[in-house]
Amino acid sequence: MEKTLSIVRYNPELDSQPHSQSYQVPVDNSTSVLDALLYIQEQLDPTLAFRWSCRMAICGSCSVMVNGIPKLGCKTFLRDYGDEVLLEPLAHFATEKDLVPDINVFLQHLQQVKPYLINPEQSEQPHKQSPQQLAKYRKFANCINCGLCYSACPQFGLNPEFLGPAALTLAQRYNLDSRDQGKAERMPELNGKNGVWGCTFVGFCSDVCPKHLDPAAAVNQGKVASATDFVISMFKP
Amino acid sequence: MTEQKVNSSSTPKPYHSELSAFWWLKHRYYLLYMLREATVLPLLFFLGCLMYGLYSLSQSEQHWLGFVAFMQQGWVIALNLLAFVASLFHAKTFFELFPRVMPLAPAALMIAGQWLATLGVATVLFLMLGAG
Amino acid sequence: MQIIQTDVVIIGGGGAGLRAAIAAAEADPECRIALLSKVYPMRSHTVAAEGGAAAVTLPEDSLEQHFQDTVAGSDWLADQDVVDYFVSHAYQELVQLERWGCPWSRKADGTVQVRRFGGMKTERTWFAADKTGFHILHTLFQTSLKYPNIQRFDEFFVLDLLVAEQQVAGVLAMQLSTGELFHIQAKSVVLATGGAGRVFHYNTNGGIVTGDGMALAYRHGVALRDMEFVQYHPTGLPGSGILITEACRGESGVLLNKDGYRYLQDYGLGPETPLGQPENKCMELGPRDKLSQAFWHEQQKGRTGDYQGHAVVYLDLRHLGCDKLNERLPFICDLAKSYVNVDPQHQLIPIRPAVHYTMGGIQTDVQCHTAIQGLYAAGECASVGLHGANRLGSNSLTELLVFGKVAGMEAARHARQSRAVPEAALKAQCQEQLQQLQARFGERQKDTVAGLRREMTMAMEQGCGIYRDAAGMQQCLDTLQALKQRYQQLKVGDRSKVFNYELLQHYELGFGLDVAEAMCASALARRESRGSHQRLDAGMNSRNDSDYLQHSLASYQADGSARISYQQVNITKSAPAARLYGAAQSKEA
Repeated sequence: MEKTLSIVRYNPELDSQPHSQSYQVPVDNSTSVLDALLYIQEQLDPTLAFRWSCRMAICGSCSVMVNGIPKLGCKTFLRDYGDEVLLEPLAHFATEKDLVPDINVFLQHLQQVKPYLINPEQSEQPHKQSPQQLAKYRKFANCINCGLCYSACPQFGLNPEFLGPAALTLAQRYNLDSRDQGKAERMPELNGKNGVWGCTFVGFCSDVCPKHLDPAAAVNQGKVASATDFVISMFKP
Repeated sequence: MTEQKVNSSSTPKPYHSELSAFWWLKHRYYLLYMLREATVLPLLFFLGCLMYGLYSLSQSEQHWLGFVAFMQQGWVIALNLLAFVASLFHAKTFFELFPRVMPLAPAALMIAGQWLATLGVATVLFLMLGAG
Repeated sequence: MQIIQTDVVIIGGGGAGLRAAIAAAEADPECRIALLSKVYPMRSHTVAAEGGAAAVTLPEDSLEQHFQDTVAGSDWLADQDVVDYFVSHAYQELVQLERWGCPWSRKADGTVQVRRFGGMKTERTWFAADKTGFHILHTLFQTSLKYPNIQRFDEFFVLDLLVAEQQVAGVLAMQLSTGELFHIQAKSVVLATGGAGRVFHYNTNGGIVTGDGMALAYRHGVALRDMEFVQYHPTGLPGSGILITEACRGESGVLLNKDGYRYLQDYGLGPETPLGQPENKCMELGPRDKLSQAFWHEQQKGRTGDYQGHAVVYLDLRHLGCDKLNERLPFICDLAKSYVNVDPQHQLIPIRPAVHYTMGGIQTDVQCHTAIQGLYAAGECASVGLHGANRLGSNSLTELLVFGKVAGMEAARHARQSRAVPEAALKAQCQEQLQQLQARFGERQKDTVAGLRREMTMAMEQGCGIYRDAAGMQQCLDTLQALKQRYQQLKVGDRSKVFNYELLQHYELGFGLDVAEAMCASALARRESRGSHQRLDAGMNSRNDSDYLQHSLASYQADGSARISYQQVNITKSAPAARLYGAAQSKEA
């Protein structure tokens, strides 16, 4: 069986606007969008640019819009779509070429929230952490940085300075970690105008998250923390 | 960690697409979100009615009767019914979001609890009104 | 061409590269570190490791036992001073990662949980559910963001090492997003580029695992050591090769042939252990080489099943139950559902061996030094001497940390002391590379990058598989040499600068061909069977310590072919003995 993939292409050296190009690809029951892209690159058109690596939904490289919805190419199967499928680069990011988005802004946002354990204590033994304490943040530690949630978030689309779902989730992940003491250092960024309050709980980010992290919940838990932080600061001299 | 920034004028430019003002028409998920946000409009009308009623109460009986006549008009009833439905819809979305933000108990339990509480408060209010 | 000055260049942003970068940054806050990676660091293939990382943890365990397991697992081809260093530094590295926030799975009392793993006498594998590599990589990446002296060069592809007077002086790299070349000057360079599993057709590896770093060092005269030892992981998904972790068996999963029989008992791994009660180093918890070889024998006997044209055996996890599967193996359940449409709670997962790991690599000493001054290597691209002829599962994640740290510290130390290399020699090298780059472009002919790559990977699959013979390997070597000839004429048709993946893959294919040839030539020269290198030829189907208790060294010749020589194995305390698993080992003990 064959399906038609309509791919939005953009070559910054030649084009001023993206344009779409169609390819016929053979499909069976197990063909993923990534398989189809690899088929095109290997057999039909070696100039097609897209990122990929692990093929097993853990490296977060092959994010792409499939019929307008952000998806991981390797975990989206053409059997679930009609005869024509539209592939576009991730929304809300600039496009470097074809299906390659410029995700540097996302990486900067990650860095802004200090996504590492802050705890000055030195020891040669591990911390103790109960399975319950682990469970508090474990889900939020599963982010693969694929960027789908940014493509789902209209607030990020309207304001690229907004830290966005993944970065705020990562902040929440460390804030919830029983081993961490860095919350006070992270809160100013979270309280700021591009922090948690930029979120209006559209919730689409949680819907598209391939790892079911529920970033919208994490961000809004951040709002509770931010409000608490504000109230406490009022009573501090 | 710092990241390498490269400035060179010959570098081709990435393509930026602007989000149009009608982004929320793009798919169902955004539309539902806008609908949730829009529930505030009929509720504003309901609030206006409430304020008008309270104000009338503080004025003369004539004034109050005017208010009652106003409330009895078809379009006012329709708008208030809409506000009622909107508030239920908003409550539903809110009750479903709440357990995700404050995960205090299993989500289904928290959602059921919130509806029960709403029903409880409404019943008590009705009983008080009836008793009055 | 932009020129950038720095002290230490690290090539590769996976586990070893990030650990090296952090070690260098901590060793010397003044040290300027450039971390180059052809992908964003969190895409590196460390991310796909599932099972765990080994370190002696339980009171009943000992460094001696971890040492013995590793040496026996290596079929006595590991350097024992290296194994000693490794086992005694393993625990502190895993603790360091814990102190950086890695979400290790825990016991109810809050201490770190350890699980069983193949070929390990005692439970000593730390894990973070079944996404250990993912959590290690992200913890390291996120931690690395703390250090202002680590400067990241994401999506930079290294074309060549710059070497003058047997001393490294930096790298020449291409920024993928612009096609621009960068001459990055440095006093030390660490190679942490990962393995070369992609020179085989069926593998568990990501598309980026193309052996670039190995080829870079090899072309500059550094030997590739023990390249014939390629690990087939016994449990990959048919067709895609997607990895189904050994932790499945650590958690008591069993392997069945098409008749539902636990066939491993026929291959020196039995007797059969009761379902749900795995025993260390028995049956499914045997080492990977033995398990993959057992599959081959089952296939010869016609006792394998079929999954869409692929011969398979079956992994049975059904008895683990829903809760255990969700707690310990959630990712595996997800993968099985997505890629073979199987629910492990109720169905058998079809699996077959797939190339997983290159035991060999760039020859280094225990301090990660290569033969070139200032050039270091760590992780899968290196052969530090830890794995010998077969790696034990969960030793490699720990290796990234232990030797990544060593490489980083050594690189920083060297950078402080080293003198500058004459500019002129480097300029000439850069010019030469620039010309080579230009020469790659031209009209596309009949051959394509993808086409040649496919021929290479199929040739390796046929000639250098689980079992090998002289005729097959010779044919593979001939094919590789012919492919290298054709590669010389292979042109890149796409002349664009921005994200020119045809050009990138052209480079990768060139690297891969060199590495594949080194593998095949090393394999052909080793006329014995040891660990993952098994020969069918008469007189070579068992271990031959009198002639081959030696590391092979593949050296790059001027004409591009590989010359094989040998190096003594460092044996300090464990004399070569029979490798025993299953009932035989307990009798021995």
